[in-house]
Amino acid sequence: MKKLLAITLSLAVFLLSGCGGNSGNAGGSQDGTSAEPTSGGTAVLQTYGDVMSFCPDLTADDNFYLAAQNIYNRLAKLDAGCNVIPDLAESWEYSDDGLSLTFHLKENAKWHDGEPVTAEDVKYTFEYIKAHNTCTLCETMAIVDSIEAVDSHTAVFHMNTVDMSFVASLSWYACFIMPQHIYDNGQDWSENDAAKNHPIGSGPFKFVEYRQSEGMSLEANPDYHDGKPSLDRLFISIVPDDTTAMQSLINGELDWTAVTPANMVSEVENNPNIRLSLNALPSPFRIVFNLENEQVADLAVRQAIARCIDRKDISEKTQNGIMPVEYSALPSMSWASNTTDVYPECNLEEAERILQDAGYAKDADGYYVRGLTIDAFDLAGYPDAAKLIAANCEKIGIELTVQVYEYNAWSQKVENDRNFIIEIQGGMIGPDPAALQWRLRTGDWSNVGGYSNARVDELLALGAAEIDQEKRGDYYREIQKIVVEELPYICIMDYAVYEGSNAALQNIPMDGAGQWGWAEWSRAQFTG
Amino acid sequence: MKRYVIRRIFSAILTVFIVLTLNFIIIKAAPGDPIKSLMGKDTNDPALRAALEEKWGLNEPAYVQYGSYLINVLRGDLGTSIIYNSSVNSMIGAKAGPTVLLGLTAALAALVVGTALGIFCAQHEGGIIDGLLSAISYALDAMPSFWLGLMLMIVFATHLGLFPTSGMTDPRSSYTGFAHILDILRHMALPALTLALVSVPGYFRIAKSSVVQVSNEEFITTFRAVGMSEKKIFSKYVFRNAILPTITTFGITMAFLITGVTLIEIVFAWPGMGRLTMTAINQRDYPTLMGIYLVVAIGVSVVMIVVDVVYALFDPRIRYE
Repeated sequence: MKKLLAITLSLAVFLLSGCGGNSGNAGGSQDGTSAEPTSGGTAVLQTYGDVMSFCPDLTADDNFYLAAQNIYNRLAKLDAGCNVIPDLAESWEYSDDGLSLTFHLKENAKWHDGEPVTAEDVKYTFEYIKAHNTCTLCETMAIVDSIEAVDSHTAVFHMNTVDMSFVASLSWYACFIMPQHIYDNGQDWSENDAAKNHPIGSGPFKFVEYRQSEGMSLEANPDYHDGKPSLDRLFISIVPDDTTAMQSLINGELDWTAVTPANMVSEVENNPNIRLSLNALPSPFRIVFNLENEQVADLAVRQAIARCIDRKDISEKTQNGIMPVEYSALPSMSWASNTTDVYPECNLEEAERILQDAGYAKDADGYYVRGLTIDAFDLAGYPDAAKLIAANCEKIGIELTVQVYEYNAWSQKVENDRNFIIEIQGGMIGPDPAALQWRLRTGDWSNVGGYSNARVDELLALGAAEIDQEKRGDYYREIQKIVVEELPYICIMDYAVYEGSNAALQNIPMDGAGQWGWAEWSRAQFTG
Repeated sequence: MKRYVIRRIFSAILTVFIVLTLNFIIIKAAPGDPIKSLMGKDTNDPALRAALEEKWGLNEPAYVQYGSYLINVLRGDLGTSIIYNSSVNSMIGAKAGPTVLLGLTAALAALVVGTALGIFCAQHEGGIIDGLLSAISYALDAMPSFWLGLMLMIVFATHLGLFPTSGMTDPRSSYTGFAHILDILRHMALPALTLALVSVPGYFRIAKSSVVQVSNEEFITTFRAVGMSEKKIFSKYVFRNAILPTITTFGITMAFLITGVTLIEIVFAWPGMGRLTMTAINQRDYPTLMGIYLVVAIGVSVVMIVVDVVYALFDPRIRYE
């Protein structure tokens, strides 16, 4: 009996551990002695959860974004540096009055079923989005009166308002060109078979298979208009935990991870098989004041709090110093950032003096200002950053309590009910400085703090309508000067994480600034 | 007996209905809604919000939403997930398989190993092995499952390279037949081991304490006094009496099997119900959450009926009351 058990057990261990083995990285050896690129192989990439829909224009679905950028194309796209570069459109130009925008499409682009991509597809896509108010980009299309397909490769947008940020908006989320011959059948896009089961795009990879909760398999599109990708296949694997994903990368099961946990960076940076690349986004950690609250409506209080923010300390303690500190009101990586007129340095003595000069006196417990709260959501680093600010405020006599909520509850309280005094948030400001209008324009929906300044509103309108980039920059820099004076929000540090990748992979999306897209794997290849 | 069973079934149906209603109220009372996830974190456009609320019927009064949900449930339709725009029935169906496979394997392993060791230690109470195993069982009890999972991952996947790190299948290969089954088993090894290790202490202690307790009963002493063999006393009288609490514990484990073990599924990227539940909570996917809770409520009720009936069969006092 015991013998039988022993034999069964050892057989099981042998079968389970031996069979299949660690297949390692298809397409390349890991020793890295030579660096000759080879074609072929499968790259396994990390994502976090199931896809909401295979139609990427219905919602801003983070879990589909990576796959969508390899299956579909947009007119223009963002590269790893957040710059707008051509995609399906090889060029575009505005008319002199700025009211017509002409896109010239690449002539050899084809859908995955072999049909050509034409200006009619572009017209159809954006007309559908404009007509359907459940599409994320519907409101952006409000400035478009009509779209004209002049010939099969020229599309003209006729607009009622000049908006120089429009092309950037068409390069970001929920703006992928959809095939009219598949979608134009009277059905709602969300109910189309292509959206539910089998996406058809024009991008470098074709959809093969979706495995619920496991991931999505894509294969190279041999007819891709920019040339067949080097890799044979992509597998976009659902791994919700970043620590697990990094272990899988170390063990050769994954080839790319989105986020290296800050505490693992020093462990893996010496691993010759792994490459870390810093992915920094114009997406600052920032605190926002609710200006409808009497206490923080007083500029002196905001100025004092601004001097309680020790950016370097916050970056060191919450992110191991990976996220760069930010002193500008528009992230310094943006071309329109004002790096001259910036937020003040941390200075607790000055902060206390500002309060005293404004007539505040200490109460019996030693506080100048009491009862302030800062609302944070429970994601990486936000509550800790808020606590570090609160600790400094405490030292100079501002009572600031940190309240932590789960994200959805936070969103309800802060964004919908606007029931807060101070909040801390992140999120991308947008690919174009015009996106400042959502945060600053009087009455706009992301202006949760209720900020209002007539000159800022005027400058926002001028900036959006100006064709000359240099002049646009001047308008946005003046806005930032006003923001650092009036402090409706204060930037702390820019979101940045190390992506991890198999060192045998080259030309990954991070290498493609100015050449290929942000999450586009069309040029990636294994070296062997 | 028949009347007893019918009464239990009737009260189970009532329980499920009450749970369903309470779930609806609690989920609606939670701050936030699924629209935020549909809109994305970088948008908060009220016009888009209103359009999406209308599309999903969230602008209707709560009692209308409740009424239509109830009617659909009675028809066996758990509705459509707001986040994934697909039927809740099929989503639960797709993810129940991996969860039951993992959960059942680990539960059976823990049941057999934990009970066997518990009985052994009860028979050799106070010995070296008993002391050692008791200490280990407390240590395992104190370990958070996700931490234990990560440690096993680092030892067995990273350093020894014996098992894959995460997932359920190898994405680089498309195995079929026996190779496919082996592939799944290899991927299941570490999550199942983790899960079994954290469940063993429970079975171990229950088995040990019931065996010790029953062995000290007076009728056992009487058997010993009349010279009945230890083997016969154990297999015929001690074991049968002592195993009842273990069966109850196992039954309860089975009832909660369907919700999966969220942390283990997240750590090992196992495609199961636990993760579905977790994301449904985070995204406030009302229909999916209601569906999962309903399935759990029914599962618990059915198991409780079975356990009660089994008990009634063994213990006539229960059914005559």
